[in-house]
Amino acid sequence: MSDPLQGHDDASAEPGAGERRRFILDDTGFNEVPVKYRKFYRKWRGAGDALAPNEVVCPVCKVVIRSTRELRPGDRVYCMPCMSRLVVVRGESGMLEARVAY
Amino acid sequence: MADFLSAYSIQSWLESCPQGYLEDTEYGHAHDEKEPDILLDNEVLREETIKATVQLVVGERCALSASSGLINAAPDEASKRFLATQTLDEARHVEVFTHRLYDLGVKKNELESVIRHYANPNLVKFAEVLLEKVDKKDFIAGVVGQNIVLEGMAFSVFEMMYAMNEPINAKFAHTLSGTIADERRHVGFGENRIGSLIKENPGKKSEIERMQKEMSYWMLATFADAFRGNRTLDELNKLGVERAHGHYQGADLGVLSPEQMEHVLADTVLAEFKTRLGRIGVEYQTPAMPA
Repeated sequence: MSDPLQGHDDASAEPGAGERRRFILDDTGFNEVPVKYRKFYRKWRGAGDALAPNEVVCPVCKVVIRSTRELRPGDRVYCMPCMSRLVVVRGESGMLEARVAY
Repeated sequence: MADFLSAYSIQSWLESCPQGYLEDTEYGHAHDEKEPDILLDNEVLREETIKATVQLVVGERCALSASSGLINAAPDEASKRFLATQTLDEARHVEVFTHRLYDLGVKKNELESVIRHYANPNLVKFAEVLLEKVDKKDFIAGVVGQNIVLEGMAFSVFEMMYAMNEPINAKFAHTLSGTIADERRHVGFGENRIGSLIKENPGKKSEIERMQKEMSYWMLATFADAFRGNRTLDELNKLGVERAHGHYQGADLGVLSPEQMEHVLADTVLAEFKTRLGRIGVEYQTPAMPA
């Protein structure tokens, strides 16, 4: 599978979560992974940048990971630029964050 | 674990790096990109740029020695292959930064004497702490020192330098963006590989914590020398040249004093150390502050 979203359990989704939204990904100019995977990543643009519902920042290498599907807590995602396996969690701010799974 | 290690393949490195962001580059930048005239024509700016670039060469020579030295200490084939790709990355970094010295007018027969003259002794001490672990073939301490402490520092330093150079020096910014992409893989390997190994070897933690504290001290001393003794801003003011307004960690680098820039960088790197080490179960040790 080329999508960074590698595993999820919709049965344990947050209440009222409903169907996952789908996203069409365009090329963002990110060139640090092989061509066929490039649309799944983009660079974090710093203060003022905002994450879409299908995006989460890799805490290891700071690249934004993008899925064709809405991300939710409990999802397992893969960061190809730094080869980290991550789990999506809801952070204290209410935003989605990724934690490294060793 | 098998899937995790299988990502460390030469094929993956080839497709991401030489066939990816390094395609069509020459010493890390586009063929027609040049250093700005002001850096070549003004003797103070040229010397300060050479001095800063020498520190990059010294740091990358240390990284080359460490990554190559760790290959035979690695406990599995996938880690050996990853470190082989990292060794080539580090050798490339040594080469591109050395080539920048030539672009700045350093003659090939003067290279080693220029490096000896400008190498910051605190950075050399930083390197010696790491290379002692590598010489002992201590894989866990070596990878933490190399891929979390040294590479974590390099990652932040390169990002700050990129922010400074991106508005005014496309050539060096391009070179830095390629090295930053390499560092993503290196810090990823450090955290992911050691994150699992440290759980199996909890007795190593105190030794690693001491090493981090010592390396952090020499790093801070290097930052202090680099920012406080730098004549670039005074020279730009004298010339009436406006500083570039690159942004780093929410700060406008075009208005900060050298001391403020030093603090932004030091605070960022130390916070990153604390976070990264915390994730792998190692307790960050606050270093003494250099005078």
